[in-house]
Amino acid sequence: MLQNAWLIPLFPLLSFIVLTAFRRHTGRLAAVIGLAATGASLLMALMVFAEQWQGNSFKAEITWLEIGDKIITMGYEVNPLNALMLVIVTLVSFLVHLYSKGYMEGDSRISVFYAYLGLFTFAMLGLVLSPNLLQVYIFWELVGLGSFLLIGYYYFKPEAKAAAKKAFIMTRIGDVGLFIGIILLFWQTGSFEYDEIFKAVANQEISQTMITLTALLVFVGAIGKSGQLPLHTWLPDAMEGPTPVSALIHAATMVAAGVYLVASAFPLFEASQTALTTVAAVGGATAIFAASIGLMQKDIKRVLAYSTVSQLGYMMLALGSAGYTAGIFHLTTHAFFKALLFLAAGSVIHAVHTQNIEEMGGLWKKLRLTGPLFLIGALAISGFPLLSGFFSKDEILAAVYADGRYGLFVLALIAAFMTSFYMFRLFFMVFSGQPRSKQDGVHESGWTMTLPMIVLGVLAVVAGYVNTPWFGTFLNDYLAQGPVELAHEHHGPLWIPIAATTVSLLGILLAYLMYAKKSLSRDWLSRSFPSVSDIIYNKWFVDEAYEATFIKGTKAASCGGTLIDRYIVEGAAEGTVSAVQLLAKSGNKVQDGKVQTYGTVVILGLAVIFAVVALTGGYFS
Amino acid sequence: MDTDALLSYNWAIMAPEFTILGVATLLSVLDLFMGKNTSRRPLLWMALAGVAVAMAFVFAELDTDVTSILHDTYRLDFFSKAFKILLLLGGFLVLLLAADYRKKELQEYRGEFYYLFLTALLGAMIMASSADMITLFVGLELLSLSSYILAGIRKKSGKSNESAFKYVVSGGIATAITLFGMSYIFGLTGQTNLFDVVETLQEPVLLEHSFLLVFAFFMTFIGLSFKIAAAPFHMWAPDVYEGAPIPVTAFLSVVSKTAGFIILLRFILLTFIAAAGIDRDPLLVQVQPYVIVLAAATMILGNLGALRQRNIKRLFAYSSVAQAGYILVPFVSNSTQVFELIWFYLLAYIVMNIGAFACLQTLTRDAGSNDVSIFRGLFSRSPWLASAMTIFLLSLAGIPATAGFAGKFGIFMGALGPEPGHYVLAGIMMLMTLVSYVYYFNIIGLMFFRSGGTGGRRISIAPSIGAVLVFCAIATIGLGIMPNIALDFFFGQFDVNEFFMNTGHNH
Repeated sequence: MLQNAWLIPLFPLLSFIVLTAFRRHTGRLAAVIGLAATGASLLMALMVFAEQWQGNSFKAEITWLEIGDKIITMGYEVNPLNALMLVIVTLVSFLVHLYSKGYMEGDSRISVFYAYLGLFTFAMLGLVLSPNLLQVYIFWELVGLGSFLLIGYYYFKPEAKAAAKKAFIMTRIGDVGLFIGIILLFWQTGSFEYDEIFKAVANQEISQTMITLTALLVFVGAIGKSGQLPLHTWLPDAMEGPTPVSALIHAATMVAAGVYLVASAFPLFEASQTALTTVAAVGGATAIFAASIGLMQKDIKRVLAYSTVSQLGYMMLALGSAGYTAGIFHLTTHAFFKALLFLAAGSVIHAVHTQNIEEMGGLWKKLRLTGPLFLIGALAISGFPLLSGFFSKDEILAAVYADGRYGLFVLALIAAFMTSFYMFRLFFMVFSGQPRSKQDGVHESGWTMTLPMIVLGVLAVVAGYVNTPWFGTFLNDYLAQGPVELAHEHHGPLWIPIAATTVSLLGILLAYLMYAKKSLSRDWLSRSFPSVSDIIYNKWFVDEAYEATFIKGTKAASCGGTLIDRYIVEGAAEGTVSAVQLLAKSGNKVQDGKVQTYGTVVILGLAVIFAVVALTGGYFS
Repeated sequence: MDTDALLSYNWAIMAPEFTILGVATLLSVLDLFMGKNTSRRPLLWMALAGVAVAMAFVFAELDTDVTSILHDTYRLDFFSKAFKILLLLGGFLVLLLAADYRKKELQEYRGEFYYLFLTALLGAMIMASSADMITLFVGLELLSLSSYILAGIRKKSGKSNESAFKYVVSGGIATAITLFGMSYIFGLTGQTNLFDVVETLQEPVLLEHSFLLVFAFFMTFIGLSFKIAAAPFHMWAPDVYEGAPIPVTAFLSVVSKTAGFIILLRFILLTFIAAAGIDRDPLLVQVQPYVIVLAAATMILGNLGALRQRNIKRLFAYSSVAQAGYILVPFVSNSTQVFELIWFYLLAYIVMNIGAFACLQTLTRDAGSNDVSIFRGLFSRSPWLASAMTIFLLSLAGIPATAGFAGKFGIFMGALGPEPGHYVLAGIMMLMTLVSYVYYFNIIGLMFFRSGGTGGRRISIAPSIGAVLVFCAIATIGLGIMPNIALDFFFGQFDVNEFFMNTGHNH
């Protein structure tokens, strides 16, 4: 099976080609074709994963290009990390294909949509299977292209067009860094292969400075793709794409590619303390920064987008703190619960035709399936005990603590608090109380939309049990078979999960007090959370406390974050653009259409060269 | 030179040139005798057949050893064969474009177009095969003079006239500068044969005049850079490209540019390879910083210029200036890789740029406008055309899995490879590539994300254009995924020593 792993990306590619070629004739068949292709990929990925689980790895390559005496190869490999990624990508992609059948019903360009999805899935799977950095880069770009096309799918909306362009250009900035890093690595080690590079690093064939430099450059690429500070601004805008796309690309797979890249190149990062610290610091800062912005957003998808940025920051923080397993673990669980949240959000949008949470409310009774599923996702991401997010977040916190990064540890705890707060603010605003606007004909979505959510809902609950302090650390043992030396498993002190749980519950509680208490019937809540409601009984005390501190505090934090975002980050980006435009303008001024000018420019150019040659060549001395 | 000597030459090696010359002559005579209202279509098929036969001769000669006749004024080495393949391929594709060019407009001068086109091609081929300043110059002028007329071939169009006029004047300046530079070299060495020039330049007496040699280098380099539209000789390109008919624009930006690189490689590398500059350092090393500045300036001016263009032909003119800048980068590093890098990039450039021009021609004719908005909503009107154009644009932008990426990647590595690496130049190339995304992706955005355009009607694609599109698209993707196909061919035949090997000529 492992030898045939290269077939996995080809099914979606086939779907893309067929759907593009026969786009006028497929119509409703488009979904079936897409589903069949990703279904086949999913089956194969599962088989590959099963075989990989028994400890087999595989690698095959052919010569692609010879430059001088350097041979550049192309091929594919299966190792523990990418076998896991294969399953995540194919599974989420399959579910999103299914979901889209319902969500995109009636869209006249449905086959184009499925074609783009196929292209993206192909690129993402290709990226995952790549055994060398050059190939990674190639698919990295293709993934970006797929994302570009899908964000701009609603091309008649100017925002969507702008967002697509922004996403492409912003991530390109990161890609330049990545590319330079890859080239530097090539000239230092003579190879693009992960294996060769790791060998060279282990044998200290590269200077320490170079290791740090290249690791940081690779990380710049990851920053762009994974929406880390300061290149994160494209991700919230990317929500202009159809919601299933947001679930697939901007939550579960592509944005996780940055984290995946750092994980695949982990031995390189491990060799440089500076690089690890940078990764951890950027991750930690992003986690809290994005979470603070998430507190104030009014668009349901934007809240989820900032939440994604924040959670990706968490994963980076884990990797930077040498918590390899923790990072991958959170990547896995996050893929499930964030995809679930997006699909549920899509179901809500589908029902009420708005994305503004101010106009929602009271949907719990109307969306009998979506509501509980959203709740599961919200609980999982908040780190509610015994759900998947609880275990993976605990793992991250333990890793950060074990690594001695106490400052970042505190940041991560605060971010965890904010996460549960904004998630439940969202939940209560959408599902509890009375409708805040006229809602006509709200009904639950069809089975094609609910089934994927149910599958993800189950996974969001149970995925955490692959790596727990109690049942066994399967994931860690499994990943330990890979190229990364896993020194130890972090099982921090017991107070860490307790602290994490406490802040998570506090966040939920606060959200409840602020957004639900006035309008929600008390007995519904006491039935669901009997213990919580007892504490809430003392509301006046908490009320006054948060009036004085939290509301002002969070408002200030959020405003600060938004301000930095709007004026400094965007300002810098726009400044660069206008500088380039200005240069272009002045360059075109000389181009006045007069052939005399053109001749003069040539003669002047020649004269300048002669003058410089004469002066520097010592002709006059 | 007596008759025996003339007869003793292996004239067979000139078969490709003779073919083109013969067809061109035949066409000009036929054109005279054809009635005024007779269709000139048969001339096109004959021209195409001529180019195909010439191509076949080049391939048949592949195994021939290095040969030279006429005192090295005509050489057959792998350099000439490899680059003639590019010229003939480009010429063939451009002729196919011309087959569809607004039939009515070209009616009255169809005949001229074909044989002037062939003489231009002949000039370029002579340049590829010559190692003597006189024949190199004759080839250059044959190409130039034919192109001047081609640019103005739409006699009744003001734009076309303006284009031809500007081209003549700029070309005249370029020729003057080139000749002036060459006269320095002749003055210093008393030779016109490049191999003799190389030998004579080693004489100690000449080392004292190295200053003049450096000047000669810059004059010839800048004079010759006119053909490739590199800075500071790039400004004519937008104006000339804009006014000329699209097949001619395609010819200027692809075939003529290839010819420019051929003469640059042949003349500059051969003449100055062993020359000493000021203070007896190798001249080519000494001039490196200047070439870097020129290459960087070309990339910057081309890309920034393209940013603000709305006229699609001007946009492609600037884009082709930028592309010339990329191809200049291998010149900077004096490695033997320069041949393979430039050859491969030119091959990629031929297929992607002619492909793009095929799309342009169809669209501008359909819309009757050169504004960039003609791309609006193309994907919904004509998905195949839009997909093909996307492939070409991605390749021009250098996105992976296209020929443009493979070529750019090689150039990039070549710039960083030899010690010391040219990090600044590679950085500028990277940065400018990034800038180029803006205007290339703007077009892609228009095609996919905009609706409207010309009333949503479908666009018909002429069969000859369709053939060009299919060929170029397949080649662009094929060379991107398997660049080895072309490179294996190149390496299988190419021996860098051949280029510098002085054969069969008597002193």
